[in-house]
Amino acid sequence: MTPIFDLLASAPPVEADGGVAGEILRAFKIDWPYFISQCVSFLIVAILLKKFAFGPIQAMLEQRRNRIAEGEAKLKQIEQQLAESERTTAAAIAKANEDAARLINEAKTSAAALSEQKAQEAIASAQQILAKAEAAAAAERAAIKAELKAEFGRLVTATTAQVTGKVLTSDDQARINKEALASVEA
Amino acid sequence: MPRRTIFTILFAWLCCAAPAFAAAGGHDPLPAHAEEIFRLGPFVITNSMLMVWIVAAFIILVAQAATRKLSLIPSGLQNFVEWLVESLYNFLEGILGKHLVKRTFWFFGTIFVLILFTNWFGLIPGVGTLGWQLTGPGVEAHDKFRPWLRGGNADLNMTAAMSFTFALLWFYWAISENGLKGFLAHIFAPKGKFSGAMAVGMLVVFAFVGVLEIVSILFRPVALSFRLYGNIFAGENILENMMFVVGDTKWLAWLPPLPFYFLELLVGLIQALVFMLLTAVFLKLICDHGDHHDDEHDHAH
Repeated sequence: MTPIFDLLASAPPVEADGGVAGEILRAFKIDWPYFISQCVSFLIVAILLKKFAFGPIQAMLEQRRNRIAEGEAKLKQIEQQLAESERTTAAAIAKANEDAARLINEAKTSAAALSEQKAQEAIASAQQILAKAEAAAAAERAAIKAELKAEFGRLVTATTAQVTGKVLTSDDQARINKEALASVEA
Repeated sequence: MPRRTIFTILFAWLCCAAPAFAAAGGHDPLPAHAEEIFRLGPFVITNSMLMVWIVAAFIILVAQAATRKLSLIPSGLQNFVEWLVESLYNFLEGILGKHLVKRTFWFFGTIFVLILFTNWFGLIPGVGTLGWQLTGPGVEAHDKFRPWLRGGNADLNMTAAMSFTFALLWFYWAISENGLKGFLAHIFAPKGKFSGAMAVGMLVVFAFVGVLEIVSILFRPVALSFRLYGNIFAGENILENMMFVVGDTKWLAWLPPLPFYFLELLVGLIQALVFMLLTAVFLKLICDHGDHHDDEHDHAH
């Protein structure tokens, strides 16, 4: 019923050679063929496990570890680039603001000057146009006046000739015209 | 009742009932050693060796299945295997440091996983109970039954093979890390700075301590072998003996070992951890350049 006692009972009897160690070796069947066989078996198993079990898993873990390390390095690089980019952008924005303010000021100054210049030009041009118009009007008026005078003289001469019934000479016509005009102008 | 609970109970029943029925058929008490199944040239193939190969094949199959379709975001089996190996790696890295763990993880990982699953596989119904009967003249009455399989670590040759392989690797790693001079200095040289007569005295003291250290180093594989073997063989004995507690009420023989199966699951894990931890600490102590030399004796005992 109690195999352990049976086991001890079944252990080979203690021989004179070997003493206690020999007894232990015999009880547990430790001998060279068994031990060497187990050593070879264990080495084969360990090599197989290294090659086909731990090898692939470790390679997979190593790959993942490298990928994570690469990712972290890239992240750090990206963070640095981002910070650099932010600094560059901020500097560019500040410069752009400065340039824009300067340009606006310049534009304002330039626009004011141009506006003044254009206004002056417009005034000059208007005055020129006005002067020209006045000159044209004066010339037209003089022409009309001359035409009127000529017509008036012709009419006076014609009227005088009809009224007097004589043919007027050139001198008469000139004299009558002159007198008529003088009376009209007066 | 949830399906998982039913399966758990069924498995527990099988764990206990199958050996009970096998025992009812009448087979030999659990021997203290593994038994020969066949010979392959000069090599003896034992039932415990077969068990270790089955476990190794299982581990390789799981590892291959887990790494067949790798995905960036692991899930399922890949996730579990990655978690197991990575946890083990980080745990050993905490003991050995980054450099040593990179060199030696294949060994310590193998030791832990192989011992753990060999211990647990030894609890599967049929291991130690399924086999064949010897017949013919010369067969002893108490030794007629040959099981096909036996718990891998319930064989002192197996645990000794692991321990002595580690011992050889330990020498190789220790000398390659420290150099032969550094290795000997690590064992024999006085620790600390002394001068004059004190230095001479310390040389003598540390030479003696070095001799003790050598004895301790030589006995490590023996202690490692017997510790693991003793625990696992004792567990198998408990399970077997518990079945006989009920006497002639054989239909109830499955019940007494039941709590001990859970205990043995725990023992299997603890022993795998202890073996791996001790071997890792032994290596760390000889490769460590700090002043932690005295800790070795604590761990060794």
